Amino acid sequence: MYVFKAAVLGAGTMGAEIAQVISLSGLPVVLKDVDPAQLERGMEHIRDIYARRVQRGRISEHDAQDRIALVTPQLDYQGFSDVDLVIEAVPEKLELKQAVLGEVEGHVAKTALLATNTSALPVTEVGAKLHKPQRLVGMHFFFPASVMKLVEVIAGAQTEDEAVDSAVEFVEGIRRIGVRVRECPGFLVNRILMAGLAEVFRAEQDLGLGPKEIDAAVAASRLAPMGPYALADALGLDIAQDVSETLKAAYGERFDLGTRITALIAEGKRGAKTGAGFYTYTG
Amino acid sequence: MTKDQETELLDRFSLAVFLEAVRCLDENVSTAKEIDIAMRAGAGLPEGPLGHADKLGLDKVLARLQALQAQYGERFQPPERLLALVAAGRTGVEAGRGFLDY
Ligand SMILES: NC(=O)c1ccc[n+]([C@@H]2O[C@H](COP(=O)([O-])OP(=O)(O)OC[C@H]3O[C@@H](n4cnc5c(N)ncnc54)[C@H](O)[C@@H]3O)[C@@H](O)[C@H]2O)c1
Repeated sequence: MYVFKAAVLGAGTMGAEIAQVISLSGLPVVLKDVDPAQLERGMEHIRDIYARRVQRGRISEHDAQDRIALVTPQLDYQGFSDVDLVIEAVPEKLELKQAVLGEVEGHVAKTALLATNTSALPVTEVGAKLHKPQRLVGMHFFFPASVMKLVEVIAGAQTEDEAVDSAVEFVEGIRRIGVRVRECPGFLVNRILMAGLAEVFRAEQDLGLGPKEIDAAVAASRLAPMGPYALADALGLDIAQDVSETLKAAYGERFDLGTRITALIAEGKRGAKTGAGFYTYTG
Repeated sequence: MTKDQETELLDRFSLAVFLEAVRCLDENVSTAKEIDIAMRAGAGLPEGPLGHADKLGLDKVLARLQALQAQYGERFQPPERLLALVAAGRTGVEAGRGFLDY
């Protein structure tokens, strides 16, 4: 199924960037939120991404304006009847995602494809309340979506093959790399990355090393683009902890992140977004 | 940080990543090729974990895992799939085949 028009639900950190990526490929996209201030912030963010592309000579001012005009911000379901694909990017709460997708199902054609950008919830459960769970796929973009090329495409237990094929085709159409992933806790990339992160946190204890020297060694080795502590701070320590708990429950102790991160979170140090985590951030 | 500490740190990081990638492969979460693509495009790793192991030589990877297993226990236990590849002489890039074909 070819997508002529898309919609993104939730104009937050991920939703706005996903709408930007879709518009850049020349497709019209509705960006819907429930909060007018968030919607405006999302549009501002999209304009910023384009402004930076213009500055860097990646796109002309004229073309940037054309692409921005492809994004329609709105608070209602106007014009959803001819939307072929809806990507849900509302907060990571199962009941909320179920409710939001259930609602949108009533506003789109029966053939429309639905997608969830969940980081860690099982796609099968997200789709459990739908009339047509076979039309729901996981479409997991990475932060920041305007930069990161990968999208994990995940089939839930009920997802039909055609939905997965269409999702992968769409992802390639918006110039991203679509990788099919079998549903499992953490999906693919976060699961593998967290295994490495947890092992480094243990090595820190065993070897009596500090975050700074570990990050420097990992970055210098060119095994990863940045050190694990800088990565955890960028991700948000609370989010890293949540993901690790999910993985630990599913696969066991190798995903345990130790007690230091819990102590930092308890002190309100949740990473770069709060000004402090393993490191301190100013300005 | 001493040289030995640095070696241990980097080995533990890259082998933990490698082992999880092999588990994903064993569970059919994805294919070897796609796992490597995903870790590069989604996590920004310069090399995918399976291709990286192929490049190091799977016999060497196996020896290192055995040493770490002796020290830290079963979480470093070499996977069956790795043992089978090494036994079959599919030791990676140099042999022309490993997790991936060359
Ligand atoms: N932030 C990341 O790094 C990241 C990466 C990959 C996936 N994700 C996933 O993406 C999803 C969104 O995360 P985020 O970080 O963008 O969250 P966010 O809090 O930044 O944005 C969520 C947005 O959804 C809006 N919203 C709430 N209820 C809504 C509704 N009923 N209808 C429409 N919009 C509604 C909110 O107003 C907000 O603007 C989550 O499932 C998260 O796990 C996040």
